[in-house]
Amino acid sequence: MSRATTTVKLRRVEGDLWEIPREGGMRVPGRVYSVGPPSPDDPALQQVANVAHLPGILRFSLAMPDIHWGYGFPIGGVAAVDAEDGAVSPGGVGYDINCGVRVVTTALLADEVRPCIGEVAGQIQRDVPAGVGSSSAVPRLSDEELTDVLLHGARWAVRRGFAAGHDDAERCEEGGALAGADPDAVSPRARARGADQVGTLGSGNHFIEVDRVAEIYEPDVAEAFGLLPGRVAIQIHSGSRGLGHQVCDESLDALARAPARFGPDYASLPDPQLACAPIRSPEGRRYLAAMAAAANFAWANRQVMTGLVVRALLRALRVSEGELQARLLYDVCHNVAKVEEHEVDRRPRRVLVHRKGATRAFGPGDPRVPEPYRAMGQPVLVPGDMGRYSYVLAGTARAMSETFGSSCHGAGRLLSRGEALRRGRGRSIARELEARGIAVRARAAKTLAEEMSEAYKDVARVVAVMHDSGISRLVARLEPMAVVKG
Amino acid sequence: MRVRGASAAEALGRLALAMSELLTGGATVEARPGEDAVVEIEGGPDLAGSAVALLRELLYRFATAREIATAIEVTGVDASGVEARVAFGPYDRTRHAEGLDLKAVTRHAAHLEREGDGWVAQAVFDV
Repeated sequence: MSRATTTVKLRRVEGDLWEIPREGGMRVPGRVYSVGPPSPDDPALQQVANVAHLPGILRFSLAMPDIHWGYGFPIGGVAAVDAEDGAVSPGGVGYDINCGVRVVTTALLADEVRPCIGEVAGQIQRDVPAGVGSSSAVPRLSDEELTDVLLHGARWAVRRGFAAGHDDAERCEEGGALAGADPDAVSPRARARGADQVGTLGSGNHFIEVDRVAEIYEPDVAEAFGLLPGRVAIQIHSGSRGLGHQVCDESLDALARAPARFGPDYASLPDPQLACAPIRSPEGRRYLAAMAAAANFAWANRQVMTGLVVRALLRALRVSEGELQARLLYDVCHNVAKVEEHEVDRRPRRVLVHRKGATRAFGPGDPRVPEPYRAMGQPVLVPGDMGRYSYVLAGTARAMSETFGSSCHGAGRLLSRGEALRRGRGRSIARELEARGIAVRARAAKTLAEEMSEAYKDVARVVAVMHDSGISRLVARLEPMAVVKG
Repeated sequence: MRVRGASAAEALGRLALAMSELLTGGATVEARPGEDAVVEIEGGPDLAGSAVALLRELLYRFATAREIATAIEVTGVDASGVEARVAFGPYDRTRHAEGLDLKAVTRHAAHLEREGDGWVAQAVFDV
């Protein structure tokens, strides 16, 4: 694959924060939070500089410490543009619209569940369709019902009885449904791809994990989040499946053709993959309406899986709902563009924040954070790799002032999938994980090799950068007991 | 993914079959008996765009009908589109469990162009 090989200039701002100075057509500087000094020839950094050319971009083109190369925008990139005069870019959201993660807490003790962890993993694998082309967790949706999903997201699934608790939707970012969704902006092809995929995990880096709450850093906050040491928690990581991919494909195609129609600023962007449109143009509005609908599909998808996983736990462990006490902690988007109000140059301003492989991290007191967490900042859920650990953090006031309320989203890939497969040759990743007490259920051995721990940065170092920079605070560490993958 | 062929049509046909191999993890697919399907796709704005359009069509058929292209003859390809005869076979979740979940066929670094005395077809997938 040909990628830019130019080097970028870098200067250290402070600690783990580096700046790519503004030059050429860059409208703002780049700012990169980095695990160790960034490499100037990292092609992802050139993408940070490219994003700085976006019409209407404000303050900085930002990169989180899990940055790696992506389509147009780097993964781990954040760009806020003026909501009136700025540009929206599908590449700034990515193919898997509203790929995201949620954590469900339980009252189960990890030590009591461990003897039957294999049965738990097996039951989840049987109950949640996973893998290439997985489908039919619920009967194929009629057009009318799919429209309902596209409008109401997680709420649709809660109404259908797929839930940990009655208030699951309120415990999702944006209440589990993004405003402005227009089902008519979603093409028949995208609908066809999504109609039988609600409640399916997919493949690749998507997973369901049964975790143990291994360490607490802020006991009061952890308790408010429902995270108690030694308890079992569940993570579900998935997105908008084929429907979202199709929306992105079609939008990129529509915007990449003749960018000059939007004006010289659009024609002169340094990378055609940054294809974008003015937010207020018909093309920009149509993308945002379709993207919101796809985001709602993703919330419904994770919500249905939540219901399926809760039922799998009840069945495998033969416990009652009262004993399980499953509760959705929170659900965050990793790939989305949303209109939010932020303070820019000491005044509130409506901006469209693209987060591609980044997590919203609103700080304490923000009215957009659900009431139970408002005093401490929103939960920031950061999955790691399947062999080590994941983290729960909390948003901060500094994130609001420095990163448009954004934090990292994961470990970030270190090896390409091909390289991971080469290194996994002759090894059984499943057996290696089992030897460390982690039950594994995966349809494809190849997926496990692609997703092995060595393929990812150490997420502990990634979240340490966010914590030390004051962008989010460490609350708890989760360690895997069982991993289910496609 | 990058393949070569003696002509643009041959290179593109091989690229399409290589995508099938990715989807099935290399396991065989039984072609359905009967007539091949004629697939006509608008493409552009160049040859690479037409190649991407054909792959996207095949990926769409896989995603919605679980059909895998088992044989393909590209009967025409230019900067405006592609015409091909395609034999399809069914995807089998058990046999093809090692297949790759392709989200999309991107335009990034897509090629269908002359190289030396042959043609090269290349596509990058989002996985």
